[in-house]
Amino acid sequence: MPALLEARDITVRFGGLMALKGVNLAVGAGEVLSVIGPNGAGKTTLFNVLTGRVKPTAGSVQLKGQSIERLPAFRIAQLGVVRTFQKTEVFGPLSLVDGVAAGALAHDDPDPSARAREALDIVGLLGKAKLTAHQLSYGDQRLLELAQALAAKPTVLLLDEPASGMNHQESAHIVRLIGELRTQGLAIILVEHNMQVVMTISDRVIVINYGEKIAEGRPEEVRADRQVIEAYLGVDSSANADLR
Amino acid sequence: MLDQTRQRLATAGLAVLLLSIPLVVRDSYYLHLFIIAGIFVIVALGLDLIVGYVGQLSLAHAAFFGLGAYASALLSLRLQWSMWIGLPAAALITGVVAFLLGWVILRTRGHRFIIITVAFAELMKLVATNWVDVTRGFMGLPGLQIPNLYVPGIGAIDITSKERFYYVVLAGAVITFVLCRKMVRSSIGRAFVLIRENEVLAESLGISAFRYCMIAFVTGAALAGAAGSLYAHYVGFVSPDLFNFSYVTIMLIMVILGGKGTLIGPALGAVIFTFLPELLRDASHWRMIIFSVILIVTTLFMPRGIIFPIIEHLVPKRWRTRHASAS
Repeated sequence: MPALLEARDITVRFGGLMALKGVNLAVGAGEVLSVIGPNGAGKTTLFNVLTGRVKPTAGSVQLKGQSIERLPAFRIAQLGVVRTFQKTEVFGPLSLVDGVAAGALAHDDPDPSARAREALDIVGLLGKAKLTAHQLSYGDQRLLELAQALAAKPTVLLLDEPASGMNHQESAHIVRLIGELRTQGLAIILVEHNMQVVMTISDRVIVINYGEKIAEGRPEEVRADRQVIEAYLGVDSSANADLR
Repeated sequence: MLDQTRQRLATAGLAVLLLSIPLVVRDSYYLHLFIIAGIFVIVALGLDLIVGYVGQLSLAHAAFFGLGAYASALLSLRLQWSMWIGLPAAALITGVVAFLLGWVILRTRGHRFIIITVAFAELMKLVATNWVDVTRGFMGLPGLQIPNLYVPGIGAIDITSKERFYYVVLAGAVITFVLCRKMVRSSIGRAFVLIRENEVLAESLGISAFRYCMIAFVTGAALAGAAGSLYAHYVGFVSPDLFNFSYVTIMLIMVILGGKGTLIGPALGAVIFTFLPELLRDASHWRMIIFSVILIVTTLFMPRGIIFPIIEHLVPKRWRTRHASAS
């Protein structure tokens, strides 16, 4: 599968701290790539590099062969690399339609509100379109984030812990949505701590530890990788149970 | 439909009221206050684009007002340009200066942005004070005049009387209001509000905060420059006092206590806070104390501005229309 988005040898230093060291990844259309690793491993920094919020110290990011690592964040989003955030980010006091229309506005969509309603319909929030983002439950706000990103017409969608804080039913809904988006040809990069979600939905998984990629493969391969079990979860068997 | 009909009736009523002021108000001093208030409506609407719509606290607005006044004055006195050419030229010059300043400072946020705008305002005051060959320093530039207004089919109209100049300022304020309303209701205005509410998210969805903040900053500054030109020709004199910090303070009071993020709020704020200090003159040395107490009470009990309680108490709910930016 040809890569839609490709990161090569990404290194990020914050002063004396090496946040990422020579990380490579590639994701193609209709593929779900999950990035896992312990807290502080560098997953969100990697997202920030891919979306232009952090400029890499070294390495390159290419979208359809075009270098994008020096472009500003808004330009990268306009090119189709759109993200959600680990901490929920919404336009609090605005109605769902007004907030979700942001992505459509950025593309000079002739009818941003229609595009917003379409995106809200996909995630199942159309019935609440007139509410403000602040009036939604936490779970609905996570779905709203997804709608915001979809209205921005992504070709590569980066989801930062979309199922965090969700109950089993809500997580299942997110997994179903991600699956539908994959079948529509979106390239999806997922950072997620919920291993059940990761193992269910991913085509490939990469594991990062202390800023370095230590493994990559299909979910069942990564799950069985001795190095991953030791480095990512430690040798403590109770923690390993989560991975299995 | 009901909303639209009532809105049209209210607009027509307001138009009749504003047009009849020179016919009703015979006191020259109060007419002068209405003219000053009209000029400050233009200033406040421009500042509201920056402070209320994109959420950046600029303290450079009085400097843009002063720059517009000086530009128009110098063009008039040195090049004998009419105010009718000097006014758009002043807006253009102020807009260009704001663009150059914005190119640097709109990449910063928070306290850094605020401090640089203060530094710019101080710099402008220093230039006006010390570039004596051009500005005459503290002596200022006197002798500015209000030119005739040429109307096709009618000819030259003398607008030097307060009664007639009031209508010029009223036209300027109305045009500014209409242009600002058109802007904030367009996709540009929607982007302004999105940036104000969550800049990081707006950028991550493809909206350039720099671009839209620049649009607000330059438009707001150009309006301040145009208002400065009107002020200079009306008063007939400009001096470095125009750059005093007290001017930007009162401009911010007009916008914030009027109701930032709305258009009617800062316009109303400009009128109220032009008249209030003057109406308190009878209180002699208690004047500024009473004014300060009013500001504190308004801030505490109307934190979103005067306009919101007015709407909530005086306008029945079914007459109101939804306006996202007024949130």
